[in-house]
Amino acid sequence: MKKLAPVLLAGCMLGGLLAGCSSSSDSKLPKVGVAIYKFDDTFMTGVRNSIAENGKDIATVDIVDSQNSQPTQNDKVDLFITKNTKALIINPVDRTAAGVIIDKAKPKNIPVVFLNREPLPEDMKKWDKVYYVGAKAEESGTLEGQLIADYWKAHPEADKNKDGVLQYVMLKGEPGHQDAELRTKYSIQAIEDAGIKVEKLAEDTAMWDRVKGQEKMAAFLASHGDKIEAVLANNDDMALGAIEALKAAGYFKGDKYMPVVGVDATAPAIQALQEGTLLGTVLNDAKNQGKASVKLATVLAKGETPTKDNVGYDISDNQYIWIAYKKITKDNIADAQ
Amino acid sequence: MNTNTKKLQGFLSQNVIYIVLALLIIAITIYDPSFLAINTLRDILNQSSTRVIIALGTAFVLITGGTDLSAGRVVGLAAVVSASMLQVQDYGRRFFPNLPDLPIIVPVLLSIAAGLVFGLINGLIVAKFKVPPFIATLGTMVAVYGVNSLYFDTEPNQSQPIGGLRPDFTNIGSGSIGSGSFSIPYIVIIALVVAFIVWVVFNKTKLGKNMYAIGGNEQAAKVSGINVAKNLIWIYAIAGALYGLAGVLEAARTGGATNNYGNMYELDAIAACVVGGVSTTGGIGRVQGVVAGVLIFTVINYGLTFIGVSPYWQLIIKGLIIVAAVAFDMRKYATRK
Repeated sequence: MKKLAPVLLAGCMLGGLLAGCSSSSDSKLPKVGVAIYKFDDTFMTGVRNSIAENGKDIATVDIVDSQNSQPTQNDKVDLFITKNTKALIINPVDRTAAGVIIDKAKPKNIPVVFLNREPLPEDMKKWDKVYYVGAKAEESGTLEGQLIADYWKAHPEADKNKDGVLQYVMLKGEPGHQDAELRTKYSIQAIEDAGIKVEKLAEDTAMWDRVKGQEKMAAFLASHGDKIEAVLANNDDMALGAIEALKAAGYFKGDKYMPVVGVDATAPAIQALQEGTLLGTVLNDAKNQGKASVKLATVLAKGETPTKDNVGYDISDNQYIWIAYKKITKDNIADAQ
Repeated sequence: MNTNTKKLQGFLSQNVIYIVLALLIIAITIYDPSFLAINTLRDILNQSSTRVIIALGTAFVLITGGTDLSAGRVVGLAAVVSASMLQVQDYGRRFFPNLPDLPIIVPVLLSIAAGLVFGLINGLIVAKFKVPPFIATLGTMVAVYGVNSLYFDTEPNQSQPIGGLRPDFTNIGSGSIGSGSFSIPYIVIIALVVAFIVWVVFNKTKLGKNMYAIGGNEQAAKVSGINVAKNLIWIYAIAGALYGLAGVLEAARTGGATNNYGNMYELDAIAACVVGGVSTTGGIGRVQGVVAGVLIFTVINYGLTFIGVSPYWQLIIKGLIIVAAVAFDMRKYATRK
C-alpha cells in the first residue's frame, strides 16, 4: 500500500486547499478582474488593498498576481476572458504589452482600465473603452526636487563644502521604467528651476529595491564620502535602503545629517519621517488610484458610460484619470496615513 | 500479497503522475463545474505550450545526469532578439530604426541560433572542461543575462521594453486554426510537433540511446564506445535551440519583450521534468511524463486562480508537489536496489 501514499497525499492537499478557499461570490454584482504586476510590491499592495476595500460592495473583484512576468499576466487575462469577466483592471508588467491585451479584450467587448503604468498613446487609441488611471510621473519628480530645494534654501549648512553647488547622488529604479526616467529628470530640473546649481556625483540603478539601495549607497559613500550633500531616490524603498547605509556610516547621530528624499510615502517611509531620518517623500496616492480604478471598472462593467458623476473623478481626454501627488514631510504626516 | 494488488501497485507507480493530474482536474471541477469547458482546456494547453518546449530541452540535459540553469535567460535572450527585428515600420521607438521588414523566418532562426550557441557553450564547458553542469550553466545563466541586457541597452533602445511587434508575428503567438470553440492555437500545434520530434529523438535515434546510456552510467557508456563529449555537446546545443524557440514564442504571445523575460523559467522546467518522472540522477525520463509534468503545473496555476485560491497557497501546493514527486522517485530507486 505504500505506493498509494503520493496519490493520497495529493488528494489530501487538494482537500485542504479547497476547504480553505474564499467563499463563493455574489453573482449579482458585476465581475471585475484585476491583474497586479506583482503582489510583493509595497506600493501596489496599497493600491490592491484599496481596490479590494472600495470594490467589495459594488463589484465581484477577483485580484491575481502576474509575478512580474508579462507572459504570466497575459495568461491571467485569458483566464478572465474565459470566466466572462465584465471589465478588467490591468497593472501592466511591461507597458508596451498593453496593445496585445487590448486585442484580446476588444473582440469580447470587455473594457480595460490600465493602472499605474501608462500604455503608449497609440495603444490607448485602439479602442474607446480603454482607460488609464495613474499619476503623472514627472509631477512626482518635480515635488521630490522641490523638497530638496526647500531644505537647501532653509539650511545653509547643507552646503558642506561651501561651494554653492549641491552635490547629489541618485538612486534610480529599473532602467527603462518610465517613472524612473521621469523622476530622475524632473527632480533635478525642479532643483535647478529653484535657482540652485547641482553636480551629480553618482547615479546608479537599485531596481526599486531596498537591499540594492543600501548596497549602492554604501558604494557611493565609499567613493565620495562626505562630498555627498543630498540623496535622491526614485522611490521610498531605495531611500530607506540608502538611510540604512548612511546610518552604518555614522549619519543621523549628533549633527551628522543627510537629506534623503523618496517617492511613494509607504508606511516604513512615514516611520522614517517620524524618526527624522527621511527628509521627505511624495505620496503616490495608492488609495485614490485603487478607488478610482475599481469605480471606473465597475461603471464600465455595467455597460454605462463613465462620467465625473458616476466615477467621482475627473476624466481627461475621455480616457485618463490623473491622481495627483502630494509632498509629505514631518509636518503633514497625517495626510499620508 | 496476491498478484492483483501487485499489478495495481505497478500500474499506480507507473502512472502516478497522470492520476495526480486527473485528481487535480476532478477536484477543481467539483469546486466549480464551469472549469470543465473547451475554453479552459484551450487556455491550459495554450499556456503549457512554451513551457513544454523549455521543459523538453531541460529533459535532454537532466537525462544525461546534468542540469541546466541557463534555460530561462536564454529564453529571454531569444525573446529580445526576435522582438528587436520584428517591429512594425511606423512604431515610434524601433530597435533598428532602418531595418526593412524581414521574412519572419530570419529573426526566428537567428534567435534559435543564439540559443543554440549558448547551449553549445554549455556543452563544451561540461564535456571538455569537466565543469559540473550546475556550475557551468549557472555561469552561462548569469552571462547570458548580461549579454541580453547589453543588447537591450544599445542605442536607440536604451533598455526600453520592445513593443509594436508585427501582427503577422504576434499572430503566431495568439492566433489559431479554426474558429469559435473548435479552434487550436498555433503555439499548441508547434508544441505538439516539438514534443513529437523530441519523442522520436529520445526513442528512435542513436543520440537518444546514447543520452540514456550516458545518464545511466557515464563510465559504462564510455567503455562501450560512445563518444560522450560529442554527444553531450550536441545535447546541450539542442536544449539551447529549444529555449531559443520558446523565447521567440513568448515574444509572439505577449507582443513584446524585455531582458527580464524568462526569469526563473529554468526552475519551472526542472520542476516539471522531475514531477514528470525524469530522474534527477539521470538515465530515466519520458516525453509523455514531461508533458504531463508541465500540464500539472499549468493546471495548478490556471485552475487554482480560476477558483480563486490565493497565489501564496498556490506556491505552497507547488512546493509540496515537487518534493513529493522527488521523494517518490527516490523511493523507486531504493526499492530497486
